[in-house]
Order: sequence, then C-alpha cells, then structure tokens
Amino acid sequence: MNSQSQSQSQRRKNFKIEAFKHKVELDPKYAERTWKVLEHAIHEIYNNNASRLSFEELYRSAYNMVLHKYGDKLYSGLVATMTAHLNKIAKSVESAQGGLFLEKLNHKWADHNKALQMIRDILMYMDRSYVPTSHKTPVHELGLNLWRDHIIHSPNIQARLQDTLLDLVQRERTGDVINRGLMRNITKMLMDLGSSVYQDDFEKPFLDVSASFYSGESQQFIECCDCGSYLKKAERRLNEEMERVSHYLDAKTEVKITSVVEREMIANHMQRLVHMDNSGLVNMLIDDKYDDLSRMYSLFKRVPEGLSTIRDVMTSYLRERGRVLVTDTERLKDPVEFVQCLLNEKDKHDKIISTAFNNDKTFQNALNSSFEYFINLNNRSAEFISLYLDDKLRKGLKGASEEEVEVVLDKVMMLFRYLQEKDVFEKYYKQHLAKRLLSGKTVSDDAERSMIVKLKTECGYQFTSKLEGMFTDMKTSEDTMLDFYAKQSAELGDGPTLAVQILTTGSWPTQPTAACNLPPEILTVCEKFRTYYLGTHSGRRLTWQTNMGTADIKATFGKGHKHELNVSTYQMCVLMLFNSADGLTYREIEQATEIPALDLKRCLQSLACVKGKNVLRKEPMSKDISEEDVFYFNDKFTSKFVKVKIGTVVAQKESEPEKQETRQRVEEDRKPQIEAAIVRIMKSRRVLDHNSIVAEVTKQLQSRFLPNPVVIKKRIESLIEREFLERDKADRKLYRYLA
Amino acid sequence: MASRDRVRFNVGGQLFETTSTTLANAGRESMLGALLDESWNPGQPEYFIDRNPACFSTLLDLLRTGALHIPSNVPEKLLYREALYYGLLDHVRGAKWGPFDGNTLRLADSVPGRAPGDGTAIRGAPDGGCCVAHGSVVHVYNWMLEERRPISLDYQQVNDVGYIDANSIVITARERLGKGDGGMAVFSAATGELRHRFRVEHGRQPKSFTAGALSLAGLDDHRIFSSCKGRLNEYGIGVWDHNTGQQVDFFYEHPGCSLGDADKLQWLPSKNCLMVATLFPRTDNCFIGLLDLRDKSIPWCWSDAGITMNLEDKRVLHAIAMEDGHSICVINQYDDLGFIDLRAGNTNSAGTGVRWSSRSKLMNQKVPYEESCYPKLATHNGQLFSCMNDSISVFSGSEHVLTSTLRRSYGGSICDFSIGGDRLFALHNEENVFDVWDSPPCPII
Repeated sequence: MNSQSQSQSQRRKNFKIEAFKHKVELDPKYAERTWKVLEHAIHEIYNNNASRLSFEELYRSAYNMVLHKYGDKLYSGLVATMTAHLNKIAKSVESAQGGLFLEKLNHKWADHNKALQMIRDILMYMDRSYVPTSHKTPVHELGLNLWRDHIIHSPNIQARLQDTLLDLVQRERTGDVINRGLMRNITKMLMDLGSSVYQDDFEKPFLDVSASFYSGESQQFIECCDCGSYLKKAERRLNEEMERVSHYLDAKTEVKITSVVEREMIANHMQRLVHMDNSGLVNMLIDDKYDDLSRMYSLFKRVPEGLSTIRDVMTSYLRERGRVLVTDTERLKDPVEFVQCLLNEKDKHDKIISTAFNNDKTFQNALNSSFEYFINLNNRSAEFISLYLDDKLRKGLKGASEEEVEVVLDKVMMLFRYLQEKDVFEKYYKQHLAKRLLSGKTVSDDAERSMIVKLKTECGYQFTSKLEGMFTDMKTSEDTMLDFYAKQSAELGDGPTLAVQILTTGSWPTQPTAACNLPPEILTVCEKFRTYYLGTHSGRRLTWQTNMGTADIKATFGKGHKHELNVSTYQMCVLMLFNSADGLTYREIEQATEIPALDLKRCLQSLACVKGKNVLRKEPMSKDISEEDVFYFNDKFTSKFVKVKIGTVVAQKESEPEKQETRQRVEEDRKPQIEAAIVRIMKSRRVLDHNSIVAEVTKQLQSRFLPNPVVIKKRIESLIEREFLERDKADRKLYRYLA
Repeated sequence: MASRDRVRFNVGGQLFETTSTTLANAGRESMLGALLDESWNPGQPEYFIDRNPACFSTLLDLLRTGALHIPSNVPEKLLYREALYYGLLDHVRGAKWGPFDGNTLRLADSVPGRAPGDGTAIRGAPDGGCCVAHGSVVHVYNWMLEERRPISLDYQQVNDVGYIDANSIVITARERLGKGDGGMAVFSAATGELRHRFRVEHGRQPKSFTAGALSLAGLDDHRIFSSCKGRLNEYGIGVWDHNTGQQVDFFYEHPGCSLGDADKLQWLPSKNCLMVATLFPRTDNCFIGLLDLRDKSIPWCWSDAGITMNLEDKRVLHAIAMEDGHSICVINQYDDLGFIDLRAGNTNSAGTGVRWSSRSKLMNQKVPYEESCYPKLATHNGQLFSCMNDSISVFSGSEHVLTSTLRRSYGGSICDFSIGGDRLFALHNEENVFDVWDSPPCPII
C-alpha cells in the first residue's frame, strides 16, 4: 500500500506537464532593429536619397513599433536623429560667407521642410495614436521647434540673422534694390515658427530700428524742407512701409510700423509743421494749395489730435482774417465790394474743405463758427448784406439765368444765417425793397420772390409778411390805375399821365414828411385820382408821399435839343418852376415848393452840379449848395442821349444820422418783441428768477436778434410798472406773473 | 492616360486595382495619400501592403462610394483597427451613421455598464462618443463605443458632466466636509487626466465649493456656467471662460430664488440670458428664471409658490427652454408636457403660467412605479424629446406632435439621456446599460 502510493506519486511526477506559458516573446532585438531601419531612412531623407526607400515598409515598421509599445523609443530616437541633423545644418549655415548666409539658410529651410513632411508621412500612425495619449508634440511641430532651437536660436546665427535682415531693410530704405523674394521666405519662416518667434526675433527690433531711423530722418527733413515737401516725403515713407509689409512682412506688422512712422514723422512734429514760416498751414490756405492741404489732412488724420490741430489753426486764422476784413475802413466804403469779399472768402474756404478736407463736418462747423464770429464784429454787416442784395437785384443779375440767380441768393443766405441781428437786416431789406419796387428797378420779379421765400423758410412767416404785403400793393396799384384810366380817360384829356402806387400804411418803410407843393398841372390830376379812389374805396385816407415818386418830363433846350428827363418828384417840382422863370434863388425855390431843406439841397445838387446832367446852372459855381445861390435854366445843356436820367445824390449807404435813426427804430421795434416774449414765458411759468427769464428770452429771440440783457431788464421793469408782473415779496429776485 | 491614372495594390497577396482619383478621397493626411505623394516614389507598377485584404476591400469600397458596407465575415473592431492603420477612421465614422433625426432613429448598440445601477448622467460627445457618470466615476467611451480610461474623482460625488469638445470633459462634484475639494474641473477624454480646476474667488480668496448643474454657452462663446454652493453663503451661479480657465463672473443668489441648488442651467443666446431651473429645492419653491448677467438682474421668472402641495398635484420635474427662445417646456410626473411663455412678462405665483398640453396620458392620476425615475427633456433641431419610465418620446413640428417612441425591452427605466454627435444615448437605471440610437446614412435611392 505504501510502496504503491509512492510509485504512483512518482509516476505522476514524470507525467507532469509544464503550465502553458505562451508568452509571445518578441525578439528583444526587434525594436532596436526596426529603429535602425527608420533611423537610416531619416538619414537618407535628409541626404536626398529617399528614392530608394519603401514607404510601405517604413510606415509598417513605425506602426509596429507603436503597436508593440516602443512609441517612447521611436519618439526619442526621432528627436535625437533630427537634432543631430539640425546641428550639422547649423554648422553649414554658420560657415556661409557674407551675403550667402541668408541664401544658405533659406535653402536649408526648404530642405528641412521637405524632409519633415516625409518623416511625418512615415510616422503618421505615431502622430495619430501615440502622440495624443502621451502628451508629446506632433512631428511637424516638433520639427519646427527643433529648427527654432538649434538653428534660429543658435548663438552664432540668432544675432547675425537679425542684423542681416535689419541691414537689408535699411539698405532698401536708402534706395538699394534687395532680394525681396529671399526676404519674404525668411520672414515667412519666422512666422511659421510661431508668431512669438517672428515678433521677438524680427518685429520688435525692426520697429525699434525704424523708430530711431525715422526720428533722425524727420529731424533732418524738418530742418531743410518746407512744410509741403516734408509732408510729401512723409507720405512717401508711409507708403513705402506699407508696400514693404505687403511684399515681405506679416500683415499684422502694418499697423505697428505705420504707427511708428506716424509718431516719428507726424505726431512729433505736428506743431512745427503747422506753424512753419512761409509754408505752414496758413500759407497753404492763402495760396489754395489743395494737394498739400489734402495731404496734410490725410496724414494728420492718422495721429491723435492731428485734425484738431489743423482745425484750431484754421479757425484762428479765419477769425483773424475775417476780423481784419470787416474792420478795414477802406472796404467799408463799398458795401457791395465788402459783401462780395465775404462771399469770395466763403467760397474759397468751402472749396478747400470740399477738395482737401474730405468735406469733414467738423471743419465745416469750424468755418461756420468763424464766419459767425467775425461777421457780427461789424454792426453794419446786416445793412451791407441787404445793400449787396439790392445791388444784385437792381442790376447785378441782369441777364443771369434762373440757376445763377439762385446760386447768388443761396450764397447770400449763407451769410444771412451768420447774422445775429436778423431784425436789423429785415429793416434794411424792407427799405431797399421799397425803393426797388417804387422805382420799378427790380431786375426780375421771380428773383425777388425767390429771395422772400428763402427768408420765409429761414425765419418764418412773420419775418416776411410785410415784405409780401409790399408785393401785393404793387399789383393792386397796377389794377387800380388801369381801372382809373379806363373810366376817366375822357375827362383827363392831354394832361400829364399819373401813375399812383397805393401803399398800405405799416407795410412800407414810410417816413412822415410834409408834402411839397406840386405843380398845378399835376395837382389837378392828383385831385381827380383822389376823388376816384375815395369814391370806390370808402373809409380810406390818401397821403401823397412826394419824397418817393418819380417823373418823366420833356424839356427843350437851346438849338431845339429835346430831351426826356427822368427825375424824382422833388426835381420835377423844381424844374417846373423854370417854365415861367429863367433864374430863381434858393429861397424862392424853397418857398414855392416847400421841399424840406435837406432834400431840396440834394435835389438841386443833382440838377446843377453833376457833370453831363446839369440841366440847371448855378451861380456861383461850386460843389455845395448854399442858401444864397441862384439857379438858371441851362440852355446850353447837351447830351448824346435822348433820355437823361437825373439821379438824386443819395448816399447809397446810410449817412451817420440816418444810421442812428435806423438803429433807434430797430431798438424801438425790439421792445414790444422782448415784452411779448417775457409775457409768453411768464404766462406759462408763473414764477421765475431774473437770470432764467433772460436766458429764456434770449433763446426765444435769437433767431431774429440777440437781445441785450440790460434792455430785457428795462422791459421787465416796464412790465412791472404796467402791472403785468410783480416782484416776489420774500425773494426779490423772483418775478410773478399777474393774470 | 487612363492607364496612368490606374493604381495596382497587392494587399496581403490579393490584387486590387483602383484609380488615383478614388484614392484622392482618402486625403493627403492618410497612409494611402502619403504613399502616392510625389515626395515618395510614385508610379510603381504595383504597391505591396502587408495588411488584411478583406478590410482593405471594404475601405476601398468606402473610398469609391462614400458608403460603408461591412461584410458579415469582417468583425467591426477589426475594420476599425485597419481603418486606424490607413488613417481612415474619420471616413468610417462619417459613413457609419447619418444626420440626426428623432424619427428615423435605430438602436445602434447597447453597452452594458459595470456599476450597480443608479447612474447620475450620460452625455453624448460631439464626435459620437459618450460618458456615463455614476457615483464618483465617469466612464468614457469613444465613438466606437470602446471604453477608455475612466475618470476617477477619489470618491467625490459627481453632480454633472459635459463635453467642451470631443476630447475635454468638464465635471462638477460635491464638496466633502473638511476636505476642501469638490468644485469643477476639465479632464482629458482620451487619457482621463486632470487638465484644469476652475476656482471660485470671493473677495480675491479662492473658496472650495460644491458645483451642481452645468451649462456651456455655445460654439463661439467660451463661457461655462455652474450652480455653486459654498459653505459661507456663496450661493449663486459661477461663470468661467473655458479657454483661459479663469472665473469671469459670479451671479449671487437673490432672496427668494435658490440658484445654488439649481438642477438645470441653459444658455439662451437669443435672449442673452441664462435659464436657471431649481426644481427640487430643499426649502423654497420651484423656481425658473432668466438671469441677465450683464446687469445682474432677473428679467423674467416663474415660481410655483402658492400651489397647495400634495403628491397628486402636477409638479414641474424638468424644464428646457425651446430653441426659438419664446417658451420654456416643462414636464410633470404624469408625463404631461407644459409650456410657459417667456414673452408674457413676469408670470406670478400659483403656477398659473403653465399651459399643460392636452395630451395627458391620465395614468389614473397615480405615480406609475415606485422606483421610477424623474422625467427629462431635450431638444434638437426643432424636435422635442422626453423620457419617462423605459421609453423616450419624440415630438415634432411646431405643435409638438408625438411622432416616435423609442423603447428597449430591458434595463429598467431611463434615468438620463443625451443627444450629441448625431446620436442619442439613453442610460437605463437598473442594469446601468446604455443604449445608443442613431439615424442611418442617407439611403441609396
């Protein structure tokens, strides 16, 4: 039993079968061998011998290495092999002489890229599966990083590369032709290596060098150039830099390099350029240098404060020039010339703004505010503008087309807008319009009406209602006269022809004047008309405005010379006296006609003292009329015209006392307007302090005129007296409205 | 000319003939693309490739037709391996399933899980993979549904997960007392490694916190939102930039709306607002609100305060803002859908604002199973999805008509589902199995 069991156990031992340990043991040399194949392939690729390699075999080898967990070995082998090759390349690049350096670098870079692509092809499977799970850099990026570290940042290459590139740029700036293609390849390489490589190894030093270059150059230019040619040079440099960027630098560099040029060449010298003697901004404006101005605008626009610098200088120049213009006593002598001058000035600068300053709104505003400033420096501007219009509407626009008329009127309206005292303008315009209408001297009804419409759109219905009334009166008068002659022609017979213009009181700028003594022939007709008119219109009163009329009279001089004289009513009265007398003293004339002395003197002056129109002869011969003078019918009067127009010597411009009078009338007219405004405001606000009232009144009236605070105060006082307002009992600064 | 275009392969002894035009479909970044590139020596009479001929045949067919047909004798995993060798895996994935449509879904696979039930969340990845969170582990699957290395959180409880991109998973976790952990972090989907932890700072002091629900703003907006609960009353919604990893904003809880406990966050680009839904609050009422982060206001909110609460009442259990941004869809315990109009000002209390759909299943007014899961909602391309018990309902059109039902026979009720990478993933509660549904590629005719 015992022996049996022993033998059994022994037998079992003999039959023992080894545990099935099927460990697939890879040939330990397999990895090493496979790597050698791949390493050899990498060498061959770098040596341009790839044509003998089998891609399929290499790909499969790399795949197998990764599959059998030799990814680490493969990857580290790759790094070591590539590094070794790059170090060799670095040596060869370093040894390149002078100008060949960049060529060599570019050449080697192209080789490396090609090799890298092929290596990546072989190791594609590693890139796809091993690299992401083991936090390694993909092959392509690895190749770029190694190139950066071993070539670009190699101590013998880094500084040399930078210097070479900057030197080439510098040479190009001084006019040399460089190999832009090569340059582009190298900067492209730096960009491929990552934006930080491009920036640190090229862009930053490039910008620094550029800044100091342009700082020096601008200093040199500004010493020897005038403003216009400096700007031309700056513009050219700017364009050159932009072109450089487009040819061989990163597009993102453009903003940076242009801002360097802008700062160094423009911003740093802005004040000096603008104020440069004989060629600065003011000279450009004076000489209409559109190109230079436009260049200055576009360059200055690029830098902060640039445009405001131009604008400020332009504004102060315009104000000063305008101030001189409107206070120049020589110019004040001719109002038409004066306004034409302003218009020319406006046109000139409008054109500058539209051609050189890109129609910049802020510049237009600056121009407008400057005009507003200086036009109102002269308190006669309103009168002059009206006189200018008067001149244009009398004769200036004769033969002009409708469009041309509109252009002139629109331009004048521009000036009108700048006026603060628009009511003064209205006063004058009314006077001048009345004269034009009554003397029948307007060139065109359409032009007159167009002007009224413009004023109406600008200032409202009230402003023009009286002006329109004047036109209505003219029309009505015409109809009335036709009717008068139709009905009365039989009775009138051969007497003088009368043309009456019936003016509504209040619409016209009439002055209360004593009527003169009309010649009896005239008086008869006048009486007939009066009877006719009052017969058809009840409840009206007619007053003859003899100071405003005209007359056409026929006169026969010595040797039977016949002339038709076009004279004023006063002149007619005087001349008619000579039908019955050859010589009359001043006193006799004054007594017979009862014309006011001032008007009579003017009237006699124009009849006796104007050469070529002296139908009267004066003794003694002198320019001025004295009360002792004697007047004779000038029998020797000749003229080559049949019709002779004898103007009245009237200062077109107002004389000093007349001016005072007009001003006074304007001031008077303003009073009710100011009062009305105060009442309107107080009615809605009930209680208000003094300053607020002044502010509100000014605001309400400024479209017509700028009320004087002192006047406003006086009006308030007057309203308190008349018990429209009262002062607050507690606070004396407050006013209350009394309903 | 024609012969020059022709390419001959000997793959594992079997001859194939094709054209370089067909091979161009593989792209330069593939093995075949590199093989024929002129930097190598092309123009050989025949290329030898030492691989499986059957798979090569299938892949060549894919390149020729763009359609994938796997013969029955080729195992799918083998084909994937070969596709990886040739660098054609993306081609295979693109041909495997078509554009997502809730009404054409077919069951693509069913993957058993390891954990004993009670999954927390499932999320679909943009590339068709997915991850399943339960307990303190997140299991990650690639689109081939092979499990990758799981993400382990050292036994912290996972609250929510989401994909920033196919390779980045963001996880929110509960803070454990005294450990100062929890919070929110990004992990690599491929390796399961921690990439970045998001911090919350209050008065420049970093604080530990419990992160709850998650939401990502969208494609071009790098913001990521999470509900946060700190121990020192830092309740609210944290906002980070997932590109920089830095906190960019914090919306502190207003009184009366519990943001720190929010169950659902959703960014509404059309309103420039974040929808916050707190549906299972501990103390307060259910609350749904839109937060405007720019001025820290709540331009719209809804609450069920004032409804007498007994179990029979309809309770809002999940909410989702509709894609048009005009309304919020909600669901109750009876699987009824309801809508709250976002355009009609502030809806006040009493829950009156919900317009329950008439499609009530009327399940005898009783909660169906003891162990049922809460229903969930999702939207995709105008379709609305809801899960209840063991099935998913698909509603289409502007009237939200029930058009399809997806149901599996086993696995218990569905505790979560997700749509991502043109696939729908449904996680079953009992067996912890998840189903993958996708739409077939476009039919030939």
